[in-house]
Amino acid sequence: MLNLAYVGRSLLATAPVEVTRESIAAFRAALGDTDPGRQDVAPPTFLVSLTLPAASSLADDPDFGLDYSRVLHREQRFEPVRPVRAGDRLSAELIVDSIKSVAGNDILTLRGKVSAQDGPVGTAWTTLFVAGSAS
Amino acid sequence: MNPGDTLFDAEYRVRRADLAAYAKASGDTNPIHLDDAAAKAAGLPGVIAHGMYTMGLAARALEDWAGDADRIRDFTARFAKTVPVPPGDEGAAVSVAGTVRKVRDDGSIEVNLTVTCGEDKVLAPARAVVRPS
Repeated sequence: MLNLAYVGRSLLATAPVEVTRESIAAFRAALGDTDPGRQDVAPPTFLVSLTLPAASSLADDPDFGLDYSRVLHREQRFEPVRPVRAGDRLSAELIVDSIKSVAGNDILTLRGKVSAQDGPVGTAWTTLFVAGSAS
Repeated sequence: MNPGDTLFDAEYRVRRADLAAYAKASGDTNPIHLDDAAAKAAGLPGVIAHGMYTMGLAARALEDWAGDADRIRDFTARFAKTVPVPPGDEGAAVSVAGTVRKVRDDGSIEVNLTVTCGEDKVLAPARAVVRPS
């Protein structure tokens, strides 16, 4: 069970990472998109390359109680402010939006606020299904 | 443009090599997307695509149609079913169709996305808002 006292808390802010043309091109190429005209601009789902590794690192906090081997990604939402571009220095802040318990399992929603050097670039909400230890 | 009108209909093929490339590029290295033994240990029949891989294909179809990533606003999906990816060049086929849900007063288009693998709706519901160009 997750620690309900964490709802509303801001859990971590990642160190700034510079986005390169190569990192955008690699993300796009993995999805089969090799259009040379858009390799400086990331697609909206690129935000998860910051927020999902940050979410998995929450498992390192024993007080929170998150066992990432019991996690299934259930929903994802993006609200971009502007596209991420090569040269942006991005960092993410993760906030515990809600924890709902359903039949011994937890539904955890995290809000990842991603910012560049000049302000916010977008928000990524990640909802995880965390299977209860009894199941 | 009216509710129900088809905006685009695209088909993509997903191979295990694509999942390995996506794991590296996205930092999502959960082994259930890379290794049959790990997938089976998690109760799956075999390797499945990252939910975010499939959502990435939906984003690609949206961006191809909209012509500009900057037009995509409020993009949301629920991962309803898995996309099993068998080994080999065949991989799995995923199709992404976009239809008009509603046209807002400011000209933004609410798009319903139908994302399927075989008979399964794998993202459901899936929606986006595309602002005017």
